[in-house]
This record gives sequence, structure tokens and C-alpha cells, in this order.
Amino acid sequence: MGDSTFSGGWIFAFLIIAVIFGWGGAGVGGNANVAAYATMADVNAAINNQSTQQALGAIQLSSANNNYETSRLISDQNMTMLQQQNSNLINAIQGFNQVSSNIANGFSNVSAQIADLGYRMENCCCGIKTMMLENRLQDAQIALNNQNARIVAAEQSQYLLSQLGSFVPTTAAV
Amino acid sequence: MNPLMMLGNSNMMMQAMGAMMRGESPKDFLRNLANTNPQLQGLNLDDLEGTAKSLCEKNNINMNELAAKIQDFAKSNNK
Repeated sequence: MGDSTFSGGWIFAFLIIAVIFGWGGAGVGGNANVAAYATMADVNAAINNQSTQQALGAIQLSSANNNYETSRLISDQNMTMLQQQNSNLINAIQGFNQVSSNIANGFSNVSAQIADLGYRMENCCCGIKTMMLENRLQDAQIALNNQNARIVAAEQSQYLLSQLGSFVPTTAAV
Repeated sequence: MNPLMMLGNSNMMMQAMGAMMRGESPKDFLRNLANTNPQLQGLNLDDLEGTAKSLCEKNNINMNELAAKIQDFAKSNNK
């Protein structure tokens, strides 16, 4: 007990600790005795347990890394898909806008053509009316000229007959 | 000392070794240890030698043999 390694009663403190808490796995509540060194079975079990813990830690780390990588890949994939969807939507909207613009332009052209057609129809109708009036005027002038010619002819005939000394009433039809 | 021997429950021994190296009192160390370890409560920590002997006797432990192994343990950890 007088070893120089210990002083001030530390050897007794170690004795108490060794008996109470065990040394190498033994204690009062278990199998406390001087053979507290780990047996080969204890050592092998501890080594196996340590190896198992290390392997489990490596597996957990690998799993965590895999999970992180998987999550990252999914996130990247989702981002790519969202970007593609956005691009598709933008293209679709732009396409719809172009279609709408084309339709609007088409309607505008149709409206202009209808208006032009109306103008042309009105113009055509006006021309026809004018032509009809002109024709009627021409017909009236022809009829008038004809009548005048008949009148002149009748008067000439009447004069000639009067010159013959007999009166012949005019019978020329008007 | 075979380092594999330390694979067991020698945490308390290592704590005690550290306290001894720092020059702490073994009684103060055990009193502090008793605050969190009820196994130590009720022991007469004012008489460490008497308490150690009593514990060894109650558990059929050869105190001299155990003390020799503790000394070997301490020497191997001081190397």
C-alpha cells in the first residue's frame, strides 16, 4: 500500500472505485473480484462491438451521404422540370399571344374588307342607278328627237299638201 | 499493460487517475463523485482505508492483490 505511485490515500480511493464500479466490467452489483481484467471473451466481444459500431457508423455516414445525394439529385431534377415547365408555359403563352394577334389581325382585315365591300357595293349601286338614269335620259332624248322628227315630217308633209291646194289633216302618229 | 484491458468499464479509474495527477484530494474526488453516483453515498469517505478494507472483505476480494493490479494499471498509464 505504500507504493510511491500513490500518495495521500489515493490507493484506497482506487480500491473503493474498483470495488464499487468495477474494473474492466466488474462491480459490486455484478461480479466484483480481483479478476477484474477483461477476459478474452470480453475483449473479443468488445472488439466485435467496436468493429460493429465502426461499421454501423460507416453505414450511417454512407446512408446519410446517399440520402443527401439523392435529395440533391431530386432537387436538381425538380428544378430542371420546373424550369422546363416554365419554359413550356412561356412558349405556350407566346404561341397563344401570336394566335390571338393573328386572329385579331384577321378580323381586322375581314372588317376592312367588309367595309370596302360595302363601299364598293354602294358605289356600284350608285353607278348602276346613274347608268339607269342616264339610259332613261338617253331614251327620253331619243324619243323626243324621234317625236320632233315626226313633227317636222308632218309639218313638211302638211306644207307640201297645202301647196297642192288641198288640205290633208295630219294623221301621223306621235 | 494490454490496452485492450481498457475496453471495459474503466472510465471511473481514468477519472480518478486524472484527478490524482492534478493533485486533487482523493476524499474530495470521491465526495464529488458521490453527488452523481448513489453507489458511493452512505460510505464513510473520511476513512478511505477502513472503507476500502470493509468493501473488499464484504466482496471476498484480496485487497493486496487488487491494490497490486491497480498499481500496475497506474504505472502502465504513466508510461
